[in-house]
Amino acid sequence: MVDDERSIRLLCRVNLVASGIEVLEASDGREGLELARRERPDLVLLDVMMPELDGWTVARELAADEQTRDIPIVFLTARADPADRRLGEQLGGVGYVVKPFDPVTIGEFVEGVLVRVERGEREQLRRGITSDPDR
Amino acid sequence: MSTTESTDAADRARRLQRVAELLAEAVTPQEVLDAILTEGVKAAEARAGAIGVLSADGRTVELLAQRGYDASVMVGWESFPLETDVPMSDVIRTGKPLFIASAKERNELYPALAQRGQKSHAVVVVPLAVEGRVFGAMSLSFDRDVEFEPERRDMKLTLARQAAQALARSQLYAAEQTLRERMTFLAEASELLASSLDYNHTLRQVAQLSVPGLADWCAIDMVGPDGEIERLGVAHEDPDKVRWAYELQDRYPPDPDAPTGVPQVLRTGEPEFFPELPQELLDEAIGDDEELRRIIDELGLKSTICVPLVARGRTLGALTLIAAETHPPYTETDLALAIELARRAAVAVDNARLYREAERGANAARALDYVADGVVLLDRDSRVRHWNPAAAAITGVDEEQALDCPVADVVPAWDALTSHVPLVPPGGAARPVTVPIVLASRERWVAVSGVEFADGTVYALQDVTEEHALEKTRSDFVATASHELRTPLAAVYGAVRTLRRDDVQLSDDDRTQFLEMIESEATRLARIVDQILLAGQLDAEAVDLELTECDPQRVAAGVIESAALHLPQSISLDLDVDGAQPIRCDEHKLRQVLVNLVDNAVKYSPEGGRVELRVRSSNGSCLIEVADEGLGIPPEERDRIFEKFYRLDPQQTQGVGGSGLGLYICRELVERMEGRLRVESELGKGSRFTVELPLRR
Repeated sequence: MVDDERSIRLLCRVNLVASGIEVLEASDGREGLELARRERPDLVLLDVMMPELDGWTVARELAADEQTRDIPIVFLTARADPADRRLGEQLGGVGYVVKPFDPVTIGEFVEGVLVRVERGEREQLRRGITSDPDR
Repeated sequence: MSTTESTDAADRARRLQRVAELLAEAVTPQEVLDAILTEGVKAAEARAGAIGVLSADGRTVELLAQRGYDASVMVGWESFPLETDVPMSDVIRTGKPLFIASAKERNELYPALAQRGQKSHAVVVVPLAVEGRVFGAMSLSFDRDVEFEPERRDMKLTLARQAAQALARSQLYAAEQTLRERMTFLAEASELLASSLDYNHTLRQVAQLSVPGLADWCAIDMVGPDGEIERLGVAHEDPDKVRWAYELQDRYPPDPDAPTGVPQVLRTGEPEFFPELPQELLDEAIGDDEELRRIIDELGLKSTICVPLVARGRTLGALTLIAAETHPPYTETDLALAIELARRAAVAVDNARLYREAERGANAARALDYVADGVVLLDRDSRVRHWNPAAAAITGVDEEQALDCPVADVVPAWDALTSHVPLVPPGGAARPVTVPIVLASRERWVAVSGVEFADGTVYALQDVTEEHALEKTRSDFVATASHELRTPLAAVYGAVRTLRRDDVQLSDDDRTQFLEMIESEATRLARIVDQILLAGQLDAEAVDLELTECDPQRVAAGVIESAALHLPQSISLDLDVDGAQPIRCDEHKLRQVLVNLVDNAVKYSPEGGRVELRVRSSNGSCLIEVADEGLGIPPEERDRIFEKFYRLDPQQTQGVGGSGLGLYICRELVERMEGRLRVESELGKGSRFTVELPLRR
């Protein structure tokens, strides 16, 4: 869970843990990138506008590294423009959640994404970022 | 020679001398004829005399005058063919004088005359010639038989020579007189035509000038804008008749397809000339209309000339001259005069119209000089025909460089500029299309509309770059503002949703954190909303300030006091006052500015340090400084931090966030209090914001 806003991190952590998901937190892009490289999580929830490195850069770096390129990324951002969604799709995200969001369902959502990734539906998920903006 | 004869000879010479004197004094043809037929006949000792001249076509002999013959004898001899077998014809034909001594001899020579019961005895007919050209003859009849000795013959010949010269001279004089009158008329008419550009008025005056000298009636008709015939003026000496002519025109409007008259002349552009108006023509025009027949009969039309007013190949109108009750029938000379008059009138009309057109064009161009929109006129070949100063300003191309050149050469981006512009016909609703374009290496937004007409296309260009930028700022503002609201909203909404979960047992610590989160994020939301509203009001100039006298030290102390309540432990906050004097400002707004600056100082000192608020007076101003030892601001960003929604690069600010409106609002407020807000900073060492406000005066 990478987000510079402490309140958003807290929200995600409490609700993800409630869904039985283990959560590691980073409060900026640089820290997030290091954490992901070190811990190889099953999925990264990534904010976009952050100090040090922004979310787009973190996504690029992860994709460029053979060790981390397969980690699915879900963007969690206040940026709601179609252009931002397109960028998220181009950078290989598998989900795009716009703030404000319902944290109660976030665990369910993350599990759903993981199941579909497992089934080899990464490409459909990726394209869903722009073709199905409601989810 | 006998004494009587010599006395007679002297007498004849005296009488001849007397005739010569009279002829020398005679000026007009009539005076010459009078002199010949009174004194000349007497000098020749004849009973009667007559003078006949050859007609212009050389086929008939016209009797100009006679004296001494019975009127009954002369009936039918006013004019007769040159072939007629009479002495006068023979003399004119041969140029040789005829001396007939007796009635017997005459009857032998001209048997036809014998039957006509002419009582005369001797007859002399002598040719009238000038420079060897015979133009007529003079006949003298005697009441006795006369033997014409050479001396008597010489006398008759001398008389004829003198008469011929006097007559020719007087005719020349008369012709000259007529010519002079015509020249005078033409000169007067030309002067009138040149006197004013109001050709309707001058043409009416020319018509007036033509009567009665040139015509009994003069009418001028013009071709209207739609080809219709418009009567411009009618002139006659009698104003009642003029009124009547207009009524007649109303009652019998001209048929544009009429085979004769004004319509025909306007159609063909050729003059129409009737030296003698044929009755059948009138009959045809009248038809069965008895009323019209009565009117035409009353008019007594004799002869007409109708000439077109033609300039540069176009028939503008027609001039009609009518000889009726007083004017003699028209001749070729009259026609020539009418053609010349019409030519001059047409040139005057054409000049006046050209002048008006040029003037209209000049007025239009002058108006376009001051129009804020660019106006570009292109001909069918897309060459520039008009390029007003606004068009020059928008495109960066001068009028001189643009005129007469293909527009694609003048503005390479022209096609990109206009290809999506719908061209409407004249009078259609032109719809402007706003297009971004690089003109003279500047990006401009131009609203373009176009109207297409027969001779080309006219485009209106409006530089809407500023409006477009404003619109962009406005939409950016909305996008950024909504973006700024999303994160605190997500926190509040998310915290409430989480607290309401009944499937999860939250720890007391988490619950407390969520409640604190709701409180602080809701406060943050409220502050952002306030700042957006205030920024909007500042943009709309809708912020009212109450400028009163206030004590800066008291305001600064208040700000320090409230900031100290939620100060991180790593920050120390101090107030340093050095001679504060009362200032003039809106106290509430000044507090708002200082709270914001202190908040920023604390926020941008993530590693802690000292924040100081200093108040001092200098040169009629009060300086309030907020200094920190925090991150500092890169030099290239120092001006931009006061822009709306501008925020320092988050990579350099270690994640310090805000609405992006704080400093914009601070500067706007300070400037509205007639003060200044400036910043000094050193990267990594801290920043100092200075509010400078005027002291109370």
